[in-house]
Amino acid sequence: MTEATFPQCRIVTERLLNPDTTERLLNKVVSVAGVRRMVLNGPRLPLTVPYGPSKGIDNPHPMRKTIRVGDQEIPLQVHVGTVLLEIESRDVIPALKAAIEPVFPDFTFYIQEGRYMKTEPSLVDYCKYGPNADKEMLGLSDPSSKSKPIILQGIK
Amino acid sequence: MAYKPQYCAGQTIVAANRRKQMDPAHKLSKLRDVTDKDLVLIMGHRAPGSAYKSAHPPLSEQQEPACPIRKMVTPTDGAKAGDRVRYIQFADSMYNAPCHPYLRSYLESYRFRGIDPGTLSGRQIVECRERDLEKYAKDLVNTELFDPALVSVRGCTVHGHSLRLDENGMMFDMLQRCILDKKSGIVKYVKDQVGVPLDTEVKVGKPMDAKWIKANSTIYHSLVGTAYRDDAELIEYIQRIHSLRVKYGFMPKEA
Repeated sequence: MTEATFPQCRIVTERLLNPDTTERLLNKVVSVAGVRRMVLNGPRLPLTVPYGPSKGIDNPHPMRKTIRVGDQEIPLQVHVGTVLLEIESRDVIPALKAAIEPVFPDFTFYIQEGRYMKTEPSLVDYCKYGPNADKEMLGLSDPSSKSKPIILQGIK
Repeated sequence: MAYKPQYCAGQTIVAANRRKQMDPAHKLSKLRDVTDKDLVLIMGHRAPGSAYKSAHPPLSEQQEPACPIRKMVTPTDGAKAGDRVRYIQFADSMYNAPCHPYLRSYLESYRFRGIDPGTLSGRQIVECRERDLEKYAKDLVNTELFDPALVSVRGCTVHGHSLRLDENGMMFDMLQRCILDKKSGIVKYVKDQVGVPLDTEVKVGKPMDAKWIKANSTIYHSLVGTAYRDDAELIEYIQRIHSLRVKYGFMPKEA
């Protein structure tokens, strides 16, 4: 169960990240013990053009790739700009910072502590998941989305 | 004394650039050579080489009502020929793009005839007769108003103005109309402005270097360029306008 007391932080970079940089970053993040949940935020990169005169045609995009984090394949759906993290304690943040520092030699980043993910179900969550929603899934994706969170296994 | 327009207040390089771009007496420096055919491809309104479609017969062939205004105003080439009205739209990154939507509308109004500019927060559209548009688009793309990385021709799905740049220094584009060829360092359009793939790539040149970008920016940005609050003259001007607008309902009288 997600406790409201778990601290959260986010990694914000100066530039939007290429898929290979995202892969390197996430592999560093999962190497740090104490990260519970993670959300990749950024502008969406749809498979087909969703609106406008060219609606419906394929939208090949070099920033939408499948990356490998731990042993898991992750198909990126966004151009990653921010990584939201739920961590087990605030002590994880310095270790996290030290781990990801080498990933960004060319531009800056910062880690902010705050509250960025849902910890309680909203009305929309209630409509979608009902009264017994799995709290670990809350805040990881839009309730109206059909995609499911990816569980990174074998990293501990 | 004859009236001399001042165009824009401010003491910083950003204000100077704005004045320079708005002043029709200043000749915009040409930085790249995108051909007419390439521009027609990027805009996607007609096939290169095809005839202009018309919305009405040429003015010389139709009876015009007796109108003193029509006698005074010389029609543009496009209006004379009865061309359709078509558009070009630009998205400008707020990370020191050399032009921005408000300024585009101002400078186009000073420099071009027969146009209908539309200004939005992160993009600007200009509509006019098709053959006039192609002429104006050349000025907008080939001169110092354009940078291949920070300015983009986008008819729709324009989101990118306020987003961080990507690692290659390009503005975000959900449809990835233009890509940076890492080997040659040249930006190529692979889709037209509404996202329909092009048969041939259109090269628009190399992105300008950081020094040029900073020296030619027309956007105030406290993190990557000149901060708005550093321009005392512009702040004074804006505060005056703001104050007068607020007081307007109370019949302001200046001392």
